Amino acid sequence: MRVALRRGDRFALDVDGKVPLQGITAIVGPSGGGKTTLLRALAGLERPDMADVRFGGTVWEGPGVFVPPELRRIGFVFQGASLFPHLSVSENIRYGAKRRGVTKYGAILDALALGPLMERRVDGLSGGEARRVALGRALASNPAVLFLDEPLSGLDQARKEDLLPYIGRAVAEARVPAIYVTHSRAEVAALADRVLGLDHGQLTGWKTPPIRFLARVIETTGDSVRVALLGAPDDALGARTVIPRLAEPGELVGLGVRSESLIVSTVSPGRSDAVLSVPATVVEAEGGLVVDVYGQRLALPPSGPHAIGGEVWLSVREVSPRPELGDSAENR
Amino acid sequence: MSVWPAVWLTIKLAALTTAILMIIAVPLGWWLATTKAKTRPLFEAITALPLVLPPTVLGFYLLVLMRPDAPLGGLWVQATGNTLAFSFPGLVMASVVYSLPFAVQPMQTAFASVPQSAIDAARTLGATPRDALFSVALPLARRGFLTGMVLSFAHTVGEFGVVLMVGGNIPGRTRVISIEIFNAVETLDYTTAHLLSSWLLVLSLAVLTLVYLLNGRGSARVG
Repeated sequence: MRVALRRGDRFALDVDGKVPLQGITAIVGPSGGGKTTLLRALAGLERPDMADVRFGGTVWEGPGVFVPPELRRIGFVFQGASLFPHLSVSENIRYGAKRRGVTKYGAILDALALGPLMERRVDGLSGGEARRVALGRALASNPAVLFLDEPLSGLDQARKEDLLPYIGRAVAEARVPAIYVTHSRAEVAALADRVLGLDHGQLTGWKTPPIRFLARVIETTGDSVRVALLGAPDDALGARTVIPRLAEPGELVGLGVRSESLIVSTVSPGRSDAVLSVPATVVEAEGGLVVDVYGQRLALPPSGPHAIGGEVWLSVREVSPRPELGDSAENR
Repeated sequence: MSVWPAVWLTIKLAALTTAILMIIAVPLGWWLATTKAKTRPLFEAITALPLVLPPTVLGFYLLVLMRPDAPLGGLWVQATGNTLAFSFPGLVMASVVYSLPFAVQPMQTAFASVPQSAIDAARTLGATPRDALFSVALPLARRGFLTGMVLSFAHTVGEFGVVLMVGGNIPGRTRVISIEIFNAVETLDYTTAHLLSSWLLVLSLAVLTLVYLLNGRGSARVG
């Protein structure tokens, strides 16, 4: 894609890059850096002065070509939910599905737990419920790509944390590539497969991908589930932890880790408040640090001198879990 | 003297005028509310002209346009074989022009308050611009639609100057209630004048109360 957009006599946005059509790509950057403008231009809601936007093999914008938003088969989740206040929740969700001839979207409704809300009026919904409906409305129209423009902005921290697993689950369920604009590191850690920086209307390149362990659910304990890192032996107790019940036994989950919740040490930390505490082998030490944990490779921020083949311990204080569907986990 | 032909004619005129006006006001109000064209103020001014022009001036120019040798009047004669001036269709056309601001301005105001993000959301969900107008913008602007409809009807019922200029005073064809009242007063038939005037007074009061009721209730519910 190439998008150039002028405001007044200066370029507000000049972006040239390729985004793979799988998983969740986060676009991060300071407010006013052009993130929302870029997303709106990709969706066809703003018409840039100069654009070369291709989606897969289709030209959306180019010389003499402008595909209007309604023909791009996109889903868009707006900052303030932007539900239609004159329609009920179910009518909101049907709006896009009806226009795109989609009749089966029950799995999306289940993933977002929208069943009990369906007959409600929109103006009676809480902030978090409205965001779930907005995401359900976008996904129910079976988009080929999903754009999320700070979908959790304006919610308090607790609501955001409640909603993160829903977003991961619904996007995984819909098997749709997503571009997620945010400036929240927690959202990036919990959801993103890769991260692209955008500042002053320019792409600043791929950033270190979020740190994420893959784990499998081993048992249910009430509202929670116990998970074990993929590849870890049964006696590795430090490789097990308890997370909210967002998957069933046997299913995979991703455990996002923020770099500040991770401590790399050369000796075993012993007893600590860590939720995960696992040994790792250094695979790469130049530039960044890449380690192998029970067969999973993780790129970590640089920390001290390490020798290739050396042993380190990773202690994780906090994880942001998200569901991973089996087959999509294979592809990523 | 029976007042019923005038009453019936007035209702027919007002209903027809309102229907035509709302068909015009939806697209015109939407265009005025959303366009970025530099000519918008000019079109807003043209729409508002009937508010400030004396009905006689408006009526005079309409009459000039409707003469059989003028473009509009000539076309009408060609199409129907009848003259436009001093006819019921001419009266309807004049009323549409005269009441235009009462239909367009509430519509424009209501459309302007529809959030752009709702329209954007509709577009990303597969709605064409026209689909988004009718499925999202118009339902959200329904108060403006109702207000425009009620005001157009009431204003047409109450018009006098333009009707007299364009339609004259022909019983059963162009003599509406307001002109019937004028005739009654001229012939010192104060009973009829009182009767019709009080009807118009009560009707106007009822209509305005309805408008304020609609607006008050709508705003309480929407936000």
